[in-house]
Amino acid sequence: MTYNDYLERKPVIVTAALTGGVQGKETVSNLPETPEEVGAAARECERAGASIVHLHARRPNGERAFSAERFQEVTDAVRSETDDLIVQHSTGGTAASDEIRAEPLRTDPAPEMASLDMGPLNRYAKLTSENTREIVDDLHAEMLNRGIKPELEVFNGGHLNESLRIWEDLESPPYVNLVFGGGTTTIPHPRNLVMLAENLPADTEFNILGFGPHQLPMTTQGLLLGGHVRVGLEDNRYYRHGEPAESNAQLVERAVRIANELERPVATPTEARSILGID
Amino acid sequence: MANQCRYLEYRTDGQGKRFDTARAYCTAADSFVQPMRADICNRRYDLEPEQDCEYYEAATSGSANSEGDEGGDENRSER
Repeated sequence: MTYNDYLERKPVIVTAALTGGVQGKETVSNLPETPEEVGAAARECERAGASIVHLHARRPNGERAFSAERFQEVTDAVRSETDDLIVQHSTGGTAASDEIRAEPLRTDPAPEMASLDMGPLNRYAKLTSENTREIVDDLHAEMLNRGIKPELEVFNGGHLNESLRIWEDLESPPYVNLVFGGGTTTIPHPRNLVMLAENLPADTEFNILGFGPHQLPMTTQGLLLGGHVRVGLEDNRYYRHGEPAESNAQLVERAVRIANELERPVATPTEARSILGID
Repeated sequence: MANQCRYLEYRTDGQGKRFDTARAYCTAADSFVQPMRADICNRRYDLEPEQDCEYYEAATSGSANSEGDEGGDENRSER
């Protein structure tokens, strides 16, 4: 993935991160939380040009849920409301046990994709999502066993080292999500995006995720480097400074519009499967 | 030990907001609780307010600084 990919107008995959698990309606009033709300948001994002939806599950009161049953409800709602979207389940879960973390992989059918956090991430003042090598290996083994494409969550440069540890076990092409924001994630600056992208092994497919005000500039730069982009209310609740985003679809529409202006065609779900080697 | 933090309540309204389903509210921080924090409040996944919550610590120590990292979007996501 390089600038040449941009020049050659390689299709860009747009992922919509619809809800997350850290914050809820207490902070973002228009955040979809229930399966019905997430399904409707997924439908709007598919129409806007997204080809992947990144999903979390919640309890009825918005709190985090990891059970296969709750993920089943969400993924069923999404599948019933959309035509061909690629469903990606989160396996993130600060403090949750290894066994619980694997639950989102156990829906029927299994998700086509799932996130795989490649290392520690600090939370609040006292929590750390440890993401030990043991759980990374366990989750990855289950993904391989169930035919699930992992998206490697590279919160910072060290996590790229951690990714290389399992590189030979990944099905081609490896798909890496480079994360830019505060805390334990990579400092959001164009030079750091270039640095990380240049350190990716050849033939890697990579996605760009920028939190908050960094979503727009980081994803735009990612488009120029041949990367794919993730947008949505999980990562960013504003459309522009001081103006809350109306919906996930609004953020997808902007990403698609920028890609079109830069003459990178937006991948259909079928094209996205081909790019990512999903059968 | 109680099943949940002594500062936790479930409310349908507060802070000018209203919800159909009661949500976690921290009486120490006087605000609704983020979903991830609610796992601490409810002692899920071996989390304990006494050990893992800076709001609890500040409330019980009498500290005026209960400022946590509720953060902007930088810390929102759990991928």
